[in-house]
Amino acid sequence: MDFLNSVVLVTGASRGIGAAIARAFAAEGASLAVNYLQNTVSAEETVGACAEAGGDAAAFQADVTDAPAVEQMVQDVLDTWGRIDVLVNNAFRPYVFDPKNRKLFQDTVWQDYQTQMDGALRSVHATCRAVLPAMKKRTAGSIINMVTDLVVRPTVPYHDYATAKAALTGFSRTLAADLGPLGIRVNCVAPGLVYPTDASRATGEDVKDMIETATPLGRIARPEDVTGPVLFLASDWSRFMTGQTLFVDGGLVMN
Amino acid sequence: MVVRAAYLPGIDPADIDWKTLRFDNAGCAVDVEVPALGKDEMKALAARIRQARQENLLPRPVGEIVDIVDRAVARLLDREDPLRRKAEELLPLVTGYDAEMVRLGLTRYLKTFRKPELMRFLAEDFTNPTILDGFQPLAKGGMGRACGPPILAHIWAGNVPALPVWSFVAGLLVKAGNIGKVPSAEPLFAGWFAQAVAEAEPDLAHCFAIVWWQGGDEERENALLREADTLLAYGGNESLEAIRSRLPMTTRYLPYGHKVGFGVVASSALDTKRGPRIARLAAKDVVQYDQQGCYSPHLFFVERGGRVDPREFGRLMANELSNFAQKYPRRALSVAEAGSVARWRQSAEMKSFSVNDNEILGDAAGAWSVAYEDAPTDLVPSGLNRTVTIVAVDRLDEITDLVSPYRDVLQTAGVAATPEELYALSDVLGIAGVTRICALGHMTAPEAGWHHDGRFNLLDLVTMTEIERSSEIAADDLAPYRD
Repeated sequence: MDFLNSVVLVTGASRGIGAAIARAFAAEGASLAVNYLQNTVSAEETVGACAEAGGDAAAFQADVTDAPAVEQMVQDVLDTWGRIDVLVNNAFRPYVFDPKNRKLFQDTVWQDYQTQMDGALRSVHATCRAVLPAMKKRTAGSIINMVTDLVVRPTVPYHDYATAKAALTGFSRTLAADLGPLGIRVNCVAPGLVYPTDASRATGEDVKDMIETATPLGRIARPEDVTGPVLFLASDWSRFMTGQTLFVDGGLVMN
Repeated sequence: MVVRAAYLPGIDPADIDWKTLRFDNAGCAVDVEVPALGKDEMKALAARIRQARQENLLPRPVGEIVDIVDRAVARLLDREDPLRRKAEELLPLVTGYDAEMVRLGLTRYLKTFRKPELMRFLAEDFTNPTILDGFQPLAKGGMGRACGPPILAHIWAGNVPALPVWSFVAGLLVKAGNIGKVPSAEPLFAGWFAQAVAEAEPDLAHCFAIVWWQGGDEERENALLREADTLLAYGGNESLEAIRSRLPMTTRYLPYGHKVGFGVVASSALDTKRGPRIARLAAKDVVQYDQQGCYSPHLFFVERGGRVDPREFGRLMANELSNFAQKYPRRALSVAEAGSVARWRQSAEMKSFSVNDNEILGDAAGAWSVAYEDAPTDLVPSGLNRTVTIVAVDRLDEITDLVSPYRDVLQTAGVAATPEELYALSDVLGIAGVTRICALGHMTAPEAGWHHDGRFNLLDLVTMTEIERSSEIAADDLAPYRD
């Protein structure tokens, strides 16, 4: 697999899974647009890691839920490299995966759902709209949306988060149907619990043990485990796949 | 980054020599400065500790000491506490162990030193722990009082984080003045623990010290040996023997040498549901601190006849070790350690050429190896650092003959078996020299109050002063109230 001369935009790429995805693309020769919200230091670290891995990279600050800011960012990326081949929608609203202190349904107010919908869906709506003109011009492109296996198996019922990601799955399929005729593919990658990341730091050993025991491959994903399927869906190897969700959770969910 | 190890009450750091130990794991260098006390400084330090112990530790009820240690341990369990944060940051850099493994290991270990566990620790050795505070009635008649040594010296070894806490706490509970020598491989935690105890009760701040010298520096070592009333030492038999030869005859010596742990899996545990789970627990025991503990398993005897046969068990373990290599990556090995792994693998490979049914799993360049032995084999140490042998046996009672020649190195056996098998096996393993039997998955986490190498951790440290019945009767005769 080789992404030489490809331009990849990864949102929320300053740390965690996003940073791992950026590094993995860079190692295959891609030019990386590392989007981040506020952590300039981490974003620059990712850029450095990408350069070290062999790719060109630059950091682009933008709040992905702010459509005009996203359009400006995409324009900046196009001004830098002239094209965008792959968009990985990885950014999400900060969420603490803490099974012991999660919100019960009766405590989850509509605003909680709205916040997560904005983080998961509004952001992707904005980034997809912004990159589409450039992708349409070349009748090619791959959009990969990061969702979660909680959508089909709510191991811990994180109401607002999982619902928003379920909406994103539906959004992705619909978009795939719409953009297929234009040569643009839209797929999802659904990791299970990924550790360590800032969001999963509060997940206790008991829950991790429980998930590991139920997982055929017997462990919890590390950020690097998620990168392979993302690269696959971005590449020509998956040229006849769209509207799909790849589960990356060691076989916890099979469907 | 530069940090200072040790705990030296009453000594101005500017007045002594410091040496620097450089640790460079995973590309992040840490310089640890350790004190090199001269023999006069050691002598003066011991004298001050002796006096502080007499004035501040000895008169304090053991219940208060428990409370103080409990407060210190609570701090070290609190992930927001600056000392704990320092431990989580620096111990992985110094030891090379995975940060998550260190963090979880620290918590699992330190929580065995909370107040209820300390009370258990005392109750294990003393029917009435207040015998450490004053004379108490003895079952045979008369009264007795248990007293720890004025100076209890500890020579610690190895790189398992925080291990010195065991004997340090034992020393505090028997109200000994403590001087501990930290190993160069992990010189930090003992000093932080001393600091936490001193901050929990400033009156005790001068009752203990944490020192260092380069292993093999006999002059400095002798300075401490001369001051010790009792010496606890950990390490290889050779270095323990050398210490013995230089120790004054009258000093009580409690050496703890290297041990070889092993596991036993009965066929009753090897159904298709439990087999994989037990393999996971066994692998966990191998992975924790890369088999550097005296309780770590080197070899597993696996009984034939279950739905999962011994060979399959080895393969399941191999897969779990491979998973753990991702979850808790093995630390970088020194040249000597890598050599030991290579030699162990080579010997297993040689054997697999001559015994067709043997096999070796795991890549030579990888972070773990499993050797499968199809025929009964003696207990031999593994190459350490996640190398383990699976030995197939036809029946559990074959195991005793395989381990009993190695009585001197036996300690922990992790067992997965039915209650009936567990007790039958424990009977014979105990006679063979095994002193601790636990569940798989618990081999590296002895419970509070365990008897290290079968010894009494606290009783071994005290001397009893007895008032015999005759003296009570004689005194009565001299009492002003006599008739």
